[in-house]
Amino acid sequence: MQEYKRSFIVVTIILVQSFLILAGRLWYLQVLRGDEFERFSLNNRIRVVRVPAPRGRILDRQGREIIANRPSFDVYVLPKDIRDLGFLTDTLSTVLGLDVKNITSKIQAALKQDRFKPVLIAQDINRDQLALIEARKGSLPSVIIEVNHTRKYPHGKLGASFLGYLGKATESDLELYPGIRGDDMVGKSGVEKSWEAYLQGKHGFIQKVTDALGREVRWDFFEQDLKSRDSVQGADVVLSIDLDLQKAAEEALGDRSGAVVVVDVRTGGVLALVSHPTFNPSDFIRGIDAKKWKELIADPSFPLLNRATQGLYAPGSVFKIVTAAAGLKEGVIDSHSGFYCPGRYRLGSKTFRCWKPAGHGWVNLRQAIVKSCDVYFYNVVAKLGIDRFATYIKDFGFGALTGIDIEERPGISPSREWKLKTYKEQWYEGETISMGIGQGYVNSTPLQIALMTSAVANGGKLLKPQMVKKVVSPMGETLVENHPQVNHTLSVNQTILDLIRDGLVGVVNDPSGTGRNARLDEMTVAGKTGTAQVVGLGKGNHERFKDHAWFTSYAPAENPEVAITVMVENGGKGGAVAAPVVKQILEVYLKLKAEGNV
Amino acid sequence: MMLDRRLLKNYDWFLLSTTVVVSLVGLANLYSATYQTDLGFFKKQALWVSVAMMLMVSLSFLDYKTLERYSQHIYIVSVLLLLLVLTSGKEVSGSKSWISLGSHITIQPSEFVKLSLILVLAKFYHDDFEGGPYGFVDLVKPFIYIGLPIALIMLQPDLGTALIIILISGSMILFMRVKVRSLLFLLVIILGLSYPAWHFFLKDYQKQRIKTFLDPYHDPLGSGYNAIQSQIAVGSGKFLGKGFMKGSQTQLRFIPEQRTDFAFSVIAEEWGFTGALFTLILYFTIILWILDTASRAKDKFSMMVCFGIASMFFWHTVVNVGMVIGILPVTGVPLLLFSYGGSSTLTAMIGIGIVLGIRIRKFPASKEAIAL
Repeated sequence: MQEYKRSFIVVTIILVQSFLILAGRLWYLQVLRGDEFERFSLNNRIRVVRVPAPRGRILDRQGREIIANRPSFDVYVLPKDIRDLGFLTDTLSTVLGLDVKNITSKIQAALKQDRFKPVLIAQDINRDQLALIEARKGSLPSVIIEVNHTRKYPHGKLGASFLGYLGKATESDLELYPGIRGDDMVGKSGVEKSWEAYLQGKHGFIQKVTDALGREVRWDFFEQDLKSRDSVQGADVVLSIDLDLQKAAEEALGDRSGAVVVVDVRTGGVLALVSHPTFNPSDFIRGIDAKKWKELIADPSFPLLNRATQGLYAPGSVFKIVTAAAGLKEGVIDSHSGFYCPGRYRLGSKTFRCWKPAGHGWVNLRQAIVKSCDVYFYNVVAKLGIDRFATYIKDFGFGALTGIDIEERPGISPSREWKLKTYKEQWYEGETISMGIGQGYVNSTPLQIALMTSAVANGGKLLKPQMVKKVVSPMGETLVENHPQVNHTLSVNQTILDLIRDGLVGVVNDPSGTGRNARLDEMTVAGKTGTAQVVGLGKGNHERFKDHAWFTSYAPAENPEVAITVMVENGGKGGAVAAPVVKQILEVYLKLKAEGNV
Repeated sequence: MMLDRRLLKNYDWFLLSTTVVVSLVGLANLYSATYQTDLGFFKKQALWVSVAMMLMVSLSFLDYKTLERYSQHIYIVSVLLLLLVLTSGKEVSGSKSWISLGSHITIQPSEFVKLSLILVLAKFYHDDFEGGPYGFVDLVKPFIYIGLPIALIMLQPDLGTALIIILISGSMILFMRVKVRSLLFLLVIILGLSYPAWHFFLKDYQKQRIKTFLDPYHDPLGSGYNAIQSQIAVGSGKFLGKGFMKGSQTQLRFIPEQRTDFAFSVIAEEWGFTGALFTLILYFTIILWILDTASRAKDKFSMMVCFGIASMFFWHTVVNVGMVIGILPVTGVPLLLFSYGGSSTLTAMIGIGIVLGIRIRKFPASKEAIAL
């Protein structure tokens, strides 16, 4: 077959070339890119199962749980393991009481995208549902039950307004906290939000060997290169709040709308902080549903607003403390100065009324404070003038943030420049007069009033209010320890403060005092009532236009420990409505003190 | 049948033993691929290999002249079997390619058609004394031989086998040389037919396979899955491999058809570059050896039969390994002697048996006659 010799040579060359191409490709895949493919094969068979970390707890000053954790059983479906979609959705809908369409659309959306990623079907199912699913596990290979941790609120709504609520992590949360995943819950308000970085735990993981069907397999040879990491619980945040006092304050305010602030005048630690009405943090555990959220933000009683730190109100007569301090410091009055109160004060053509139409007659500073005579303070502020008065308003911390570690608003500290800037208008002298009794443009949060009161009580230190005492890691080490911080020292001296304090003691203890409802036998209470007009004096009888009732106080008068401010929205007279609330809280305070717990 | 002593003396022990080694390596490989799930496949294949070996050895003692004489009969029987498949075949995953013999044994006639076609083409060219190059008209008869089984196999449909048959017979025709003008003419016809073929004859999944070949990562969980997983298996074997029965891709069943079409990925993963290259060398040794037999053949028939069988091994090896290592599209082409499957194992061994028979008869009878 000599004539085919050349053909055989050609064929042999083709053969050798083909061999070289195949061998070359093997060399390329196995030697040049072997490490890369080795990683691929590792990723292929190793499924990383996340071990979710519980959030840190939130404790009261005595270490009692205010927010704790409990397990939540969440149902996921792994699309790639679905055998019979109809059976799956029917079963889940029957067991979980969910809409079939809803489940189907969720799964179908996932099937189009990543079939290897579990789809969340239901969160926090109950024990009965769990048992029903476990019983059907054999016929539902795609169903995964993941045990997560979720918030537990042993005291219900207690403290909700400052503790805050949780929500699903947003894009910006994911950027801010790299350790979290899309369906993690993060703090959206209150302490949960401001201490998120500490409360957040560190998720762990377990690597599992799975076969191509995603089924877990156990095989020693593959298990030796598995890794895992335990999850680390978030740090516990220990509040300066005292659970008992908080409860007492909430009970004392009761169903009324308003706020209560209890601070330690020596440290600035917040012992209780109430805002009512409030929301139920349990509604947010699984991420609030749209309907409920809409209801909450459309609620005319503003349950999401923390009235204690964000609610802005005219301070009313409690503001007379500032007027008195300014008058004394500026030498406009001294302790003996007297003014005559005929029940009204005239400025040009305008008449400003005293709350007591018959008038108080001749009153000195102490009497003016005790009886809360408006005309006296009209006179003082008229002599001061807006410019001098404005510096004292600022001095006492109004119009500025207090630096508390939850949401707050600064309020308004009015001045000539402020009005020009805000309204492009001149200042009228009449506006100064009403500001002398805490009406007009000035407004403040109950927290600011409480801090002003503390400053009077502690000798002039405007403290930074602190919700948190310390942060403790799960291993027991203290990560953060808050020490008292002075934001600002008042420009008025102790002599002036003593004069005011004398008046404040009289408010509660003198027979003619407006705050007698706060009087206690066991302890001398000092305080100041306030009745802040919502609209023009005496206009309208509607509940919404009733005055806000204020009472701010400290105790014991001789050696102050605690300041309490109460504001009841549309409550009426401060002495009648707010003072008894303070009294009720102080009674509990005394009991706690006797037990050595405060 | 009387045994000629010369046959034993000249017996091609090298091809026989290389074939036996490849089948044993293939069996070991199949053992690793299946021992986790179902060793039944391994046992069945072991049985097929033994039967096939006996058939191979028996055939080596059969004079190929007999095959020459009956080549057309064999061809007709195999085509009839293909018809039988279409009328009463067993459907497995969308194609009717098998006929059942009893309850446990199924055969795939399209595998045997390869051999019968090789025989009939060899006979055709043997009887023709022109010796090429051939013009277009001369190609009509071989085209009918080829076209008939191709059409029947496409009806099953079994794209992979049809492709292999085209490649084998095409190699044979080209080896016998075709006029350049006719070749160009053929090329134009093929290109002209490919457009309607794509639009009217190819099924969606077949188009998908071709598209996937161009970019396996386009549909990584669907049709590109096997190609990607196979490359991962091969690549992760690195130089020395993960060890026998320790290939994670294989053992955790990331490659769905590792028993059959993707068997080579198992050895590449578990024995690495060394094992894969060793296997490849074994195959090319067999092919070169058969080709060598062809080049020393006494007549055109035996030369063409050997060439056809060599090209059968060549195309099976190149198309299958090329698919496993990601340089050729995924088509259902088994690696002969390696992939699970009775029909392909029988076909491969029968082919080797025929070559053995030719090889031991290549020596001029006269020398032996003198010696005797």
